[in-house]
Amino acid sequence: MVSPTQKPSVCTNMAAPGRHVGHYMKRNGRFLLCNIEQVLGHRSFGCTTAVRQVAEANKESAESIVIPRKKTWSKEAVLEALASTVGRDPTAYSYQFQDDPYLSPRSAVEFKLYSLSQESGRSAAKYFINSNPKFFTKDFAEPHIPCLMPETVSPCLEEVSEEALKERINLRKVTAAVDMYDQLVQAGTAVSMETTHSLLDVISFYCDRDPAEEEGPQTEDTESKDQKKRKGNFRRASDFLKFSWKENNNAERIFNLLPERDTRCYSALIRGMVKHEAYAKAFNMYTDMLNNRLTADVHIFNALISAAPEVRDKYHEKWDLITELLKQMNEQKIRPNLLTFNSVLKALRRCGFLAKTQALHTLSEMKALGIAPSLASYEHMLAIFHRSGSSGPNGTDLLQEVVAELAETNFTCQDPHDVMFFSCAIRVCLDNKDLELGYKVHSLVEFGENYRLLGDPFNQSVYYGRFFNLLCMMEHIDEVLKWYKRLIPSLYYPNPQGMKDLLQALDTDSRLDLLPSIWKDIKSLGLTNRPDMAEELLSLMTRDNHSPEIQESFAACALDIKSVFDLKFSLEWTNSSLSHVTMLLLRANKTEKAWEMLHLFKSNNRVPSDDLLNSFLSVCRTDDAPQKAVELVQMSAAFCLPTTPQLAKRTLTDFNLTEEQRAILSELEAAGGEPSD
Amino acid sequence: MYRFLSRTVCAARSSSVIVYESCALPTKCEKAMANQTEKPVVLMAEDGSTTQQQTDVKTEQVVAKQTQVNTDVPKSGKESLLDLLGAMKVEVTNKRRLKNLKVKQNFESPPEYKSKPAAMESTISMFQKATEEASESLDPTLVAAASAAAATLPNSNQAESELLRQLRQRKAITEAQKKGDISNLGEIIAEMKVGKKQTRQNAWAANQIRFDDDGRGYTHDRGITAELVGVRERRSFLLGKRLNIFSPSTEEDAVESTPTLWDVEFANNLSQVTDQIPRNGLEEMIQWTKEGKMWQYPVDNEAGLEEEASVPFHEHVFLEKHLEEGFPRQGPVRHFMELVVVGLSKNPYLTVQQKKEHISWFRDYFHQNEEILKNDDAYLS
Repeated sequence: MVSPTQKPSVCTNMAAPGRHVGHYMKRNGRFLLCNIEQVLGHRSFGCTTAVRQVAEANKESAESIVIPRKKTWSKEAVLEALASTVGRDPTAYSYQFQDDPYLSPRSAVEFKLYSLSQESGRSAAKYFINSNPKFFTKDFAEPHIPCLMPETVSPCLEEVSEEALKERINLRKVTAAVDMYDQLVQAGTAVSMETTHSLLDVISFYCDRDPAEEEGPQTEDTESKDQKKRKGNFRRASDFLKFSWKENNNAERIFNLLPERDTRCYSALIRGMVKHEAYAKAFNMYTDMLNNRLTADVHIFNALISAAPEVRDKYHEKWDLITELLKQMNEQKIRPNLLTFNSVLKALRRCGFLAKTQALHTLSEMKALGIAPSLASYEHMLAIFHRSGSSGPNGTDLLQEVVAELAETNFTCQDPHDVMFFSCAIRVCLDNKDLELGYKVHSLVEFGENYRLLGDPFNQSVYYGRFFNLLCMMEHIDEVLKWYKRLIPSLYYPNPQGMKDLLQALDTDSRLDLLPSIWKDIKSLGLTNRPDMAEELLSLMTRDNHSPEIQESFAACALDIKSVFDLKFSLEWTNSSLSHVTMLLLRANKTEKAWEMLHLFKSNNRVPSDDLLNSFLSVCRTDDAPQKAVELVQMSAAFCLPTTPQLAKRTLTDFNLTEEQRAILSELEAAGGEPSD
Repeated sequence: MYRFLSRTVCAARSSSVIVYESCALPTKCEKAMANQTEKPVVLMAEDGSTTQQQTDVKTEQVVAKQTQVNTDVPKSGKESLLDLLGAMKVEVTNKRRLKNLKVKQNFESPPEYKSKPAAMESTISMFQKATEEASESLDPTLVAAASAAAATLPNSNQAESELLRQLRQRKAITEAQKKGDISNLGEIIAEMKVGKKQTRQNAWAANQIRFDDDGRGYTHDRGITAELVGVRERRSFLLGKRLNIFSPSTEEDAVESTPTLWDVEFANNLSQVTDQIPRNGLEEMIQWTKEGKMWQYPVDNEAGLEEEASVPFHEHVFLEKHLEEGFPRQGPVRHFMELVVVGLSKNPYLTVQQKKEHISWFRDYFHQNEEILKNDDAYLS
């Protein structure tokens, strides 16, 4: 906006009438600022006069001017706008690996390995910095960047006080906090209710043990743990590691010692019990709370509803319990939220035959209350309807409804379960072989930022795997290949099954000429250690005769496969794969190579088939190589094949042989002629 | 010939309702007109002058009828649209049956018609077709005519019933022949084509699949019935019964207290679940900005004003007030200081505090050297 030539004059102009408008400035600085900015926008009018005019206008209509509200931009606004202009490059590997081309992951395993090692490197550095703050005292950044400096991970306050307790709670040092609390109570100091609440929260949340920190150097506090999870996005064993709620643990002990208990205390304990699978205990706690004439809060109900299927056996008992809870909720004037209904729907998944009708009712209830269902709600619905039998509406109908309703929507994640929706939806499409619906679901994924809701890499690969499977099954091969180029390997590393689907699709639409290029991809995807993969490919290539050029490329591909077999000891030549390779080489007139392959039969203890030997002989005939033919017959004899006499006979009649060769062959023919052996 | 004429006129009446009233098919209209104006010429070439006069008359009649119909039935836009749609539909079926109607006409009409040019014949047959359709049962006018004719005869009742029976018989024969024509092979193929077009979408998804044998279930048959199920489902899915436990109330929740650990963890969980690996450099920079690792991109002209954010601009620009104290009111020193202040006001790189310090340094300096300045008459206070 401001060109360098204009700047000086503007500044003088601003300074010069300063005396003149000075008193307005003081009184009404902000207002004038706005006006001057406005004027600067139309700088061509001449600044001095304009300011004067503004000053006059200021006197006349000070009241009538409405100052526009300041527009606030998020600090990422510019970057977001820029990022929205960058499309996806389907030929490139994921951005996180672009620093080092050597470490471009070419298979799912490598992807996992590399991204996890990247992440663990970051965590290690973070751990080192945090645990050795004395080495990292110099602050290079100007202005100061807090997140680059070591964090305090150990409590600083040593004395026994409520402040120290709060600090320990904030650092989530559960055992230390419990110790501090006990000391405080023994010393007779009263702890405020607020601190007690957060103490109970921390203990219940982490089930009375320190959150995974002590186990190793990887995780030291929840902040860095979160970061790791966020970026690595892989499921870790510790995520599944469940600690069970122990009878009379510190949370219960402190709770029982409390002089008075309010809803928050009960809430902390009940939520902790449900989280750590002490379901019956949670319900007891709830009854206890009701006996104390307290009303619950929405979190308690949400937790209890999700626990309901665990404490009842029969379907209708489970559902009765849930409705009972909902009714109590209404009686206690507690407004349900999205999570309440999502828990109801989730619980309904385990309610068998009741699920379908009640799920529909629940959804209507949500709509009646003006709570928009999230993707998780729909996912539960789909799961309920997809499983159920043939009668009535099924998953596809429901999904069509949902997709029609959700089209062109930007989703925000409201429930951690939301990320399961897309893989579930595409499963419904796959199971019903509904390609059209599959495309709709995928367009939903591609809309806006919705791809973020695909979940972690595992979920993503499940989603893309199913989508690709559906494409291979239903779509024309040209379209399939288009998608193949778009998805692989930038978004999806296919598993062996996915590749087999693709091979089948190629077979169905008779585009077998593409097989060699697919083999290259298979190799780069690291699927070569699967013998069935190569075998399938070879059998497809061998099955029919093709034009000479294609046969040539097939032969090259077969040699490539052979070299892979030579390199990897885990792969073992089977009879069929050996004969397929040999056959392919023969068809491309690579007799020498084929001859080498024949020797491989011997060394791998495999026996060539009659067909193969016969066609080999025919090739010898066209090449006019009598010596080779004789050797072939000899080899056949060495394998003790019953077809040896026939081969010998054919050789005798078809080739121009020397006396020696004739003698050998006649002998073989005669030997084979006596089938007594 | 009379029969031909009357039939054409009659046909023109009904067909003009179909085609011309809609007024949205001008090309069609023109084409028909062209057909009719062309006819005399063609006929002259073929049959000679005897028929020409007749056809001329007929054309005039037809045109007259058309204009009449055109003018005397004004229709609203919507109605004419409906008519248009209806007309299109009728035309589709007409085209299909055109062939057999032609055959039928050849069969039942005298040989003289056979020499008609093809274009005219098709027009006629279209008109006829319309007539046929108009009189599915016996035409009331026809019945009236029959009774009128019968009235001239003795034993009028019997004569009328005989006439009507004859008419019905003829109609039955026509119908039968029409049906017979429908059963010819071309017709069957045409019908099949139409049928396939309509159901192709569904047939492709469901019917083909049914023969796959990979063990995935096909509980779902997407035919008409399935669509009906879908409609029913739509209704129940969107406005079905509800649990009727809660009453939709507008009252807001009680004010939420400070976020607890559970809330924080829940939010963390959500962000973890949705945070994807950055897809490009800019997204990575967004992430860094959020983490506070990166300098913010300027979204307004106040970016980077960490320490000066609270200082208004006039503090920077209007520095004269700092000259009020400790400086002479006039003279060279004052003049010099005014220049310094102007210079400072243009300097965007110093903070206000630094500017003040700069000025106070001069204040101290001139204060210390007050004696020398006074001696030179440079310091006037």
